[in-house]
Amino acid sequence: MIAAAARESRVVGALGRRALTLQFRRAQLLMPTFVLPLFLLAVIASGTSAGRDLRDFPEVSSYLGFVVAGTLLQGALLAGLTAGIAMASDIEGGFFDRLLAAPVRRTSLVLGRLAGTLGLAVLQMAWFLTVALIFGASYPGGVLGAVGAAILAALTAVGIGGLAIAIAIRTGSMNLMQSIFPFVFVLLFTAPAFFPRDLLTPTLHDIAAYNPLTYVVEGARGLLQDDASLGDPWLGLAAAVGLAAFATGLAVLALRDRARRT
Amino acid sequence: MASRSSSSHPAVAVRGLERAFKGGIKAVDGLDLEVPEGEIYGFLGPNGAGKTTTVRILVTLLRPTGGEARVAGHDVVSDADAVRRNIGVALQEAAIDPLMSGVELLRMQGALHGMRGSEARGRATELLERVGLTDAGGRRVGQYSGGMRRRLDLAMALVHRPKVLFLDEPTTGLDPTSRNALWREVRGLNDDGTTVFLTTQYLEEAEQLADRVGIIAGGSLVAEGTPAELKSRVGEPTLHVDLAEGADVPAARRALSTVGPLVDCADDARVAIRAARGKATVPDAIRALDDAGIAVESVEVVSPTLDDVFAAVTGSTLEGAGGGAADGETAGVGA
Repeated sequence: MIAAAARESRVVGALGRRALTLQFRRAQLLMPTFVLPLFLLAVIASGTSAGRDLRDFPEVSSYLGFVVAGTLLQGALLAGLTAGIAMASDIEGGFFDRLLAAPVRRTSLVLGRLAGTLGLAVLQMAWFLTVALIFGASYPGGVLGAVGAAILAALTAVGIGGLAIAIAIRTGSMNLMQSIFPFVFVLLFTAPAFFPRDLLTPTLHDIAAYNPLTYVVEGARGLLQDDASLGDPWLGLAAAVGLAAFATGLAVLALRDRARRT
Repeated sequence: MASRSSSSHPAVAVRGLERAFKGGIKAVDGLDLEVPEGEIYGFLGPNGAGKTTTVRILVTLLRPTGGEARVAGHDVVSDADAVRRNIGVALQEAAIDPLMSGVELLRMQGALHGMRGSEARGRATELLERVGLTDAGGRRVGQYSGGMRRRLDLAMALVHRPKVLFLDEPTTGLDPTSRNALWREVRGLNDDGTTVFLTTQYLEEAEQLADRVGIIAGGSLVAEGTPAELKSRVGEPTLHVDLAEGADVPAARRALSTVGPLVDCADDARVAIRAARGKATVPDAIRALDDAGIAVESVEVVSPTLDDVFAAVTGSTLEGAGGGAADGETAGVGA
């Protein structure tokens, strides 16, 4: 039992390392995951900083420190999406057949890919928080708050990755995965990524309540700003873990269904 | 890792195998075959004959819709994991990450088969040496030639020392030098006791490598045997004699008919007879023609090829069969 678990953990580790290695060797994947969110952060931070003067905008130590939580969320979404694109690429290119012909649990194939996504997301979050810090963001929550926010976002990346992998397994199409890209922004902007929920329009405010990413970004913000009124970290953790567990299960089911169908 | 001890069951046993796709199209239709341990089995057929579908079923990537298949004694459906532990697979179009190095891929493959880091590293070094890629092992696969990729693909299939190795058209697209290198490697593996199930559309490949050949057409096996057996079923070798200019053709036909039965020949300056004894017929034929005073340009013994076998059993020839493997041997030049 322990030997089998150790064996599967080696498989997950090897696949995770491969996923992460390829991520850094494909320049076209680095741009959306490490650079694009910072562009949006720069635009938001410089273009909408006047929003801080609105009557219901909460008291925060720095506007950049407030909006960077949205950048973490955007990074998580993009990291997850690239997991799906990479999976579709493996299926189209035939590499996935090599994995399926190996004596490993199907669950490990999904977990291996998600381990890579988790590693990528941790690096992304550290990068975003550091860049924002250099440009003047402050984190009253300190290192612990930053680490907590990064963990929330990384778990969310796993959740989105699970959903993207499930779609990739069902369709096996890289083109379709790439066409999903715009929906990332729909998910992002139907959560209070860059503004407090109370300042959203009534319709968007109502929609945001049903978006689990709302609780993640608010929880991350609460941790970074050390202010529970901005968001409950435990609620954020529950949303992130719930999404990750649900999506991973969905991806495993998609893989089993694929095995049954072929 | 797969155990290499010998056992009583065949390496591959297939009974009434079927695979139907959407619309009821049967890619494999009632296939029966058996491959004993230690054999190189050549699975020959044109594109669309059902070769790849059969292999995908045998390596557990596709479920059969009928019949049963066992590999290394394990059922491919109910005991798929045991099958996977005992097989090595190199599928068509080596699917290898161009951005990874040979060493990285071999180590990952080792991990997929439960090897620890140091064991996988050691095995990677050993296999790179075996397939002649030691110097290229650290380079990204994108910089490899087609032949190098195929050799790496083969090395990846061997990481866990499989009992049965499936090679799906392993030399398609390779130049003759790379093809020969891969053939040598396959023979070496077989000498070490590995059973090899090889699909190919190259007649020469089947003839050079396979102990036995199965010909598949329309999803079922239409002929099976050693290359020599299959060819002997089609007919005996033929002796072709090209006569010198101005030679008396009817006299030549009379002379040669004393050596063997005449065979119809389209070319007026050529006479052909059946040569049951192959090349041993040549001296008799030369002597008979010499005695009759007939001048000869050249003599050739042509044996039936696997292409002839294929044509005889399927009514068509193998499309794209680059290695036509003509068995013709120019045995002498006329007096």
